[in-house]
Amino acid sequence: MPALASSQLPRRRYSLGLGLSWEVLRYFKYWIIAVLILSFLGPLALSRYTDIDLSAWFYTANVAKWFSAFVGGGFVYVLVPSLIAAGVTRRELAVSLGVFGTVWSAGIGAAAIGGLLTERFYYGAMGWTQAVELNEATAPIGTWGETLGFAAVYPLLYLAYFTAGTVIGVASYRWDGTGWLLVVPILPVLFSLDNALYNTKPFGPGWLGFLGRFVDEAGRGLVLAAIVLVIAALAASAYRILIDIPLRSKKA
Amino acid sequence: MSFSVNLRDVTLKYGKEDALADVDLTLEAGKIYGLLGRNGAGKTSLLSLIAAFRKPTTGQILVGGEPVWENAPIVSRVALIREGGDFDDSDTVKATIETGHVRLGFDADYAYKLADKFELPLTKRVRELSRGKRSVLAAVTGLAARAELTMFDEVHLGMDAPTRDAFYKELLAEYMDRPHTVVLSTHLIDEVANYLEEVIIVDRGRILRHEEVEAFQGMGATLTGPAESVDAVASGLEVLAEQRLGATKSITVAAAPDAPTRERAAAAGIEIGPVGLQDLFIHLTEPGKNGA
Amino acid sequence: MFDDGTPIYRQIADQIKAEIMNGSLEPGGKVMSTNQYAAFYQINPATAQKAFRELVDEGILYKQRGVGMYVADDARDKLAADFRERFFERVLAPLVREARQAGIPLTDIIDYLRAQEGALK
Repeated sequence: MPALASSQLPRRRYSLGLGLSWEVLRYFKYWIIAVLILSFLGPLALSRYTDIDLSAWFYTANVAKWFSAFVGGGFVYVLVPSLIAAGVTRRELAVSLGVFGTVWSAGIGAAAIGGLLTERFYYGAMGWTQAVELNEATAPIGTWGETLGFAAVYPLLYLAYFTAGTVIGVASYRWDGTGWLLVVPILPVLFSLDNALYNTKPFGPGWLGFLGRFVDEAGRGLVLAAIVLVIAALAASAYRILIDIPLRSKKA
Repeated sequence: MSFSVNLRDVTLKYGKEDALADVDLTLEAGKIYGLLGRNGAGKTSLLSLIAAFRKPTTGQILVGGEPVWENAPIVSRVALIREGGDFDDSDTVKATIETGHVRLGFDADYAYKLADKFELPLTKRVRELSRGKRSVLAAVTGLAARAELTMFDEVHLGMDAPTRDAFYKELLAEYMDRPHTVVLSTHLIDEVANYLEEVIIVDRGRILRHEEVEAFQGMGATLTGPAESVDAVASGLEVLAEQRLGATKSITVAAAPDAPTRERAAAAGIEIGPVGLQDLFIHLTEPGKNGA
Repeated sequence: MFDDGTPIYRQIADQIKAEIMNGSLEPGGKVMSTNQYAAFYQINPATAQKAFRELVDEGILYKQRGVGMYVADDARDKLAADFRERFFERVLAPLVREARQAGIPLTDIIDYLRAQEGALK
C-alpha cells in the first residue's frame, strides 16, 4: 500500500493515484529490471549463434499490455476493501484509479517508445535488423519516423488494457465467482482492435482476435477512435460498478 | 469534535432477507457504547452501514449530523475495525500501518508505539501473522486512526486474555486523552461492561434494548429458595429462566423486584441475587423469545 | 473488584463514603479526578462522574470549578446518620433473620456482642 506523505483531504485522491503508480514500480521492481535486461542483453547473447532480425523490445512492449491489465485488475481488487475500510470514499478511489491508470499508461508508454527508439539505435550500431513479425512474413519497421509512429500508440493501448483489467477486477470483487466473466465480452473486442492497428502477428491467443475481420479493412484513424471509445465505455463501467460497491462481509 | 450517529428507519436486505429492519438508533457524541447480539443478529451489518461500508436498502444514516454515504470529510474520520481487519494480506505489517496515512487524524507515532508495545513484527507479511497478532494489528490501526467515531467489531477474537486486557486499557486511555465516540461489539460482555456507558442489544435485525449500562446492571435478579415460596413471589414478574434442584427453585426475572417484593421474599427465605450482564443478555436474546 | 448487583457508580460512591468515615479522606481534602478514578478502576469516566455527581447532590463533596472535588467539612456528620441507618438495615436485619432460622436465641447474640466489645477495649 502506498506511503502517502499528504493526507490533505481534497488532494488525497490525487496523491493516492500517484502513490499507487510508484507502488507498482516498487512492488514489481525486480521483474521490471529482469525484463529490461532480457530485452537488451538477450539479443546480444543470441547474436553469437544466429542473426538478429526481430525486435526483442516489440515483445516486451506487448507483454506490458497484459501486465497493464493485470495491474489494473489486481490493484483494484485489493484496493477496494482496504482503502474504503481506511475511510476513502468510492468517488475518491475512482479518481485515484483514473490518475493511476493515466500515469501508469503514460509512463510505461513512454518507456515503450523510448525502448523501441533506443533499440533502433542499438540494432543499427550492431548491424542487426529491427523487424516485427507480420501475419504473413517479417518486415522491418522502417525509418526513424516510422518507428516512432509504430510506437506512438502504445500509451493508448496500455490505458485500454489497464482499464479493461480494472473493470474485470472491480466486477470480480463485487460479484464473487461471476464478476470475472466480464472477460468474455471485453477481451475479444479489445484484442481485435489492438490487432487491427497493425498487420503484425497477434501477440497472445490469436483466436481472441476473431472480431478483427470486421475492422481489418477500417482505416487506422477509425480503429484508434474505436479504441478511445472502448476506453471511455470501460472507464464508465468501472465507475458504475465501483460507485456503490459494498464491502464484503469478512465471514459468512 | 466527536461524531454522533443517527439511524432513521433503516432497513438492509441481502436479497430478500432482512439483515436489519426498521432500525432507529441514536448514538450521542463522546460516549462508549457496547453492541451486543448473537451471531447473525445484525451487529456487523449495522456497523457496516454506519461506516458506509455498504448502503442501506432504505432509510437515512447521519454521522456527525451529515449523511455518511460517500462523504469524505466524515468517513475519513470514522474507523470501523472488523474482525481480522480489512487488510491487503500480501502487505507487510509496516505497510499496513502506513495505509493509515490516508486518514485525517492518523497518528503514526502512536501507531508505532502501540506496535512496539504489542510486539507486532513490522517486516512480516500480514498473511504470516497468527490470528491473535492479526487482531492486534487491526486494533492498532483502529486506535491510531484517532477517529471521531471508532467501532471495533469483535476485534478481540484471537487475542489472549492479557492482550485483551491491555487493549481495553489502551482504548480507555486513548478515550480519556481524546474523548470520541466508541462502539465495541463483543461477545465477552462481562469483560468490557465497566468500560461502557450505554449498551445496545441487537436481536434478529432489530434493536432489542438500548439503555445505560446501570439500567442493565439493576435490571434482572435471581430468586432462589423453596419452590412454592419462589413461585408465590414470582407470580406477576417477567420470568426469563428457571431451574429446579429438588425442593429448591431458582428463577431469573427481567426486572429487579421492588421493595415490598424483596421483603416478602426475605421473609419467605428466598435469596435475591444479581444477574450478570452476560446472563441477562443470554436470557433476553434466547431463541423463542421476542415473538420469533 | 466490583460486585454484579449494584451499579458501579454507586459502589464507587460507597467506597468514597467509607474512606471519609475511616479517615483516609479528610474533610476539606481533595478527591482524585474522574479520569484518575477511571484509569485506576478501569471504568468509563462517565461512571466515575456519576458517583461524584451523586456525592455532590448529597452534600458530601463539593466542586471547586476548574480545580477539582473536595470533601465537605460536615461530610462525616452527614454520613454518620446515614451509616447508622444502613448498618441496621444491612447488617442487623439479616443477622436477626438468620439467627432465627438457626434457632439462636437473641440473648446469646447480645452476650456474644458484649464480649466482643470487651475484647476491643
